[in-house]
Amino acid sequence: MSYASCRNCFKVIAVVVIVIGIVGAVIGYQRGFRELPQPDWVTASPEMRFKYGSIGAENDAGVPYWIFYVLPRIFPEKLTQDGKIIPGGYAALGVPWEQGQELPVGFTKKTIGFPRVANNCAVCHTTSYRASPDANPVLVVGGSSHTTNVEGFFRYLIDCAKDPRFNADILMAEINRVTELDLIDKLLYRFLIIPITRKRLLEREAQFAWIYRQDFPDWGRGRDDAMNLTKYFMIRAPMDDTFGPTDMPSLWNLKKYVWEQGHRMNYAGDSHDAYSVIMDSALGLLGAAPANQEDFVGQVKWLHGYLSQLPAPKYPFPIDAARADSGKALFSAHCAACHASELTGRPLPLAEVGTDRGRLDSWNKGAAIQANQVVKEMGLERRGLVEEDLSGYIVPFLDGIWLKAPYLHNGSVPTLRDLLEPAAERPTVFWRGYDVYDPIKVGFVTDTPEAQRIGTRLDTRSKGGGNQGHEFGSQLSAADKEALVEYLKTL
Amino acid sequence: MNDVDTPSASPWKRRFLILLWVIVAIPVVLVAWLAMRFGGDVPVDYDSPTEHFKYGSTGGEHEMGFPYWIWRVLPEVCPQYLPGKGYQSLGMIYEKNPDGSDRDLPIGTSQRRYQGIDRVFVNCAVCHTSTVRTAAGQPATIVLGMPAATFNMKGFEEFFFRCAADPKFSKEYLLPEIERQGGDLDLVDRYLVYPLAMAIMRDRVLALAGRFNWVFAQHEWGPGRVDTFNSAKVIFNFPMAHLDPKEFDAPADFPSLWRQRQRKEPREMQLHWDGNNTTVEERNKSAAFGTGTTPPTIDLARIARVEAWIMDVAPPAFSQFFPIDEPLAASGAPIYKEYCAACHGASGSDFSGEYVGQVTPLAEIGTDRRRLDSYTYTLAVNQATLYAGYPWRFTHFQKTHGYANLPLDGLWLRAPYLHNGSVPSLRALLEPAASRPKAFYRGNDVYDPVQVGFVADQAEAGGRRFFRLDTALPGNDNGGHEGKSYGTELSAADKTALLEFLKTF
Repeated sequence: MSYASCRNCFKVIAVVVIVIGIVGAVIGYQRGFRELPQPDWVTASPEMRFKYGSIGAENDAGVPYWIFYVLPRIFPEKLTQDGKIIPGGYAALGVPWEQGQELPVGFTKKTIGFPRVANNCAVCHTTSYRASPDANPVLVVGGSSHTTNVEGFFRYLIDCAKDPRFNADILMAEINRVTELDLIDKLLYRFLIIPITRKRLLEREAQFAWIYRQDFPDWGRGRDDAMNLTKYFMIRAPMDDTFGPTDMPSLWNLKKYVWEQGHRMNYAGDSHDAYSVIMDSALGLLGAAPANQEDFVGQVKWLHGYLSQLPAPKYPFPIDAARADSGKALFSAHCAACHASELTGRPLPLAEVGTDRGRLDSWNKGAAIQANQVVKEMGLERRGLVEEDLSGYIVPFLDGIWLKAPYLHNGSVPTLRDLLEPAAERPTVFWRGYDVYDPIKVGFVTDTPEAQRIGTRLDTRSKGGGNQGHEFGSQLSAADKEALVEYLKTL
Repeated sequence: MNDVDTPSASPWKRRFLILLWVIVAIPVVLVAWLAMRFGGDVPVDYDSPTEHFKYGSTGGEHEMGFPYWIWRVLPEVCPQYLPGKGYQSLGMIYEKNPDGSDRDLPIGTSQRRYQGIDRVFVNCAVCHTSTVRTAAGQPATIVLGMPAATFNMKGFEEFFFRCAADPKFSKEYLLPEIERQGGDLDLVDRYLVYPLAMAIMRDRVLALAGRFNWVFAQHEWGPGRVDTFNSAKVIFNFPMAHLDPKEFDAPADFPSLWRQRQRKEPREMQLHWDGNNTTVEERNKSAAFGTGTTPPTIDLARIARVEAWIMDVAPPAFSQFFPIDEPLAASGAPIYKEYCAACHGASGSDFSGEYVGQVTPLAEIGTDRRRLDSYTYTLAVNQATLYAGYPWRFTHFQKTHGYANLPLDGLWLRAPYLHNGSVPSLRALLEPAASRPKAFYRGNDVYDPVQVGFVADQAEAGGRRFFRLDTALPGNDNGGHEGKSYGTELSAADKTALLEFLKTF
């Protein structure tokens, strides 16, 4: 063999290697990273976009679609609440879910190389209510997801990953029962996507260690320990003993918050303005710095605009106009000084209202400074978190109050009528997250056998769950209380 | 070219050729043989649409198919788990060969050769074909598309789970029985394919047994009924033991399959007993899960043939079997028009009517609520994930709160009546619930033209025991569909006239 022909053969080898490299790179890009826009129906209306539109969380927090799809079939026994196994796939987590939709509200499907599932704001901010047990749910976007078991969802994915059955053989067998992946996808799933997903989910266990603490109560349906999420997830603070569960807030009509008038956001006035809260919450969903910063800021701005204008929902059941009218006078006399005044939307020292302090104690000035630093380092601009010691909870606006049950920041009082009783006479134990509405007491039904079967039990003596405080109006006569409650339906 | 080398090259050439055979030709031949023996995916096909309906494949054999010979011999290997001899004892129907012997497989089963083994599983006809006889001694007429009133689905499921768990489900018992029945297995089948298939099938059936444990705990469905939507929960592997107890014991009669076009056009009706879906094709794919199909293995082309056939097929007329008193029927027509037509259509072939195919709230219709409660909002949203990734992903399942008003084509063959088959005859349905039979027998194919329904007062006939339906048991309540507007307060003469008219449907 001559030197020349050997050179040729090196050339051939080189060409082959380059071709294989290029083909491999193209396939790798196509199947691993190429981003496809969501289908048109997702963005067909602002409401659909809010419910199903990606905010970019699929990059880091996304779960590969087919893994997400088969987990409830492989690990149904891990979908639990209050220690009981709940049948129903992801519906067992109480997520709002429209009939005919592939995913629950607040779950987004987007292809980045391969289809992935992540979340958007709607998962915690869509309220489900029903007029009777024999009625289908009505979903109100922007409201509090009082049915969603967020902690249950966090734990579920981690618990699945911890199970030795979370392996390529078992997952692929189930995936092959529901779809036909081509050879490349099959190989990717088996050798990369499944093992990597497992690893990523297991890493969450350390970050989410406090959700497994035996000495803390479960969040249950409709609550999250929001500021601790921020502390442990965003600024990686060491775990402390604070626990501040709160209801997911409603997000409608955010334009009512005016920073210049001293209005602050979040239950304890932790954040300066709505834009900052939306950005920080969205970062929580992304679980990392945004992959595409410009797109991310665009999403936050769109959400801010949408939620600023989103009207509060009107009470859908009959209102006794005469009684509501007499209730209006009572409202002016007993409630308006705080809830319809310049105090509204501003923090009130805790001693004045006396509600549970768990949420207030779960956040602090140092954490605010650190979190602002983290966001700043991502290159994101916002007014941000309030870098001060916080004194108490914000006096809430009451628009759409009928749908914001249960009441108080920690959802410890089931109905408005109960809230008008002294703390000692409010229910000590009740069930949250059942969505049949109670138009008499104004709130959700919380103690029927059905409510107990579907809801999660809240013991108001548990950490962070105290139902004390805000004992205003409890001295009114029963008739006055009913009139006042009737008026509150009109807000 | 190089003659000098030839003598010395010769043994090398021979060795080379041997080597070539060993490392190339033999493997190629072997692979070709394996591909021929174990490749391929070939269903047994039938040209005629009716033969296809009876014996054609939905694709269910891929995932669920039983090896042909195992299917054949199981009734002999596990006779203790059957009520009588063979699959006939579960109400399955065997047609005759030209020579008068029974066919090898009953109506409602299909065959496919897949992965080198002939497989058998059920198709649509197993739940939607039955027989009718004009008198005990008369021959049975097979009616395609009618509810499988004699087929005991629960017994069928339990038979396989019990037999697969039986120690006799092993090659020591199965292979000799296969041989005895004339199964001439070749060496590969006998020593490789069948032993392996038995092990796989046993594992598969026993793995599924956990998902189907709930079936054993239900009150008997009896022939002609199935708990449709608790079975659907099994697709998602819902932990059945943790369901709300009120979702269980929800048996419903198999429906008829005739005249589907009119349920689709001009306006889509709410299909299924509770009206939980408005799309014929989606309803069909959903039902096809019951024949063992999965999204990747369903045979859509062959299901499309069935779909096309059931679009326009019509039920046989009552008058082909029994006389109808035409003047009496004519006098019943105005009564029907006044009381029934708005909900049930103008006639057995004209489905127009203001409320036809729509759901009547439970509080109004008042029939047993278990079937309704078995279908939950939770199930409906989960069903919207079925066929994800395919253009025909399910999007129409909905939770309702009542039962749908059905058109009455072939009404006479759809006995017993109400969704749970709790009223034996049309005559009984026109009585107030308190006067309807508290218990009766299902599964007899002898027709009673006076009561308009199958003979329901005989516990057994011709060596077959029938199923005693006790309306006091959960899921079997025979109340509802009663009161003045439902015709139960008509005079006896009017009821007789109305009944006669209903025979024309």
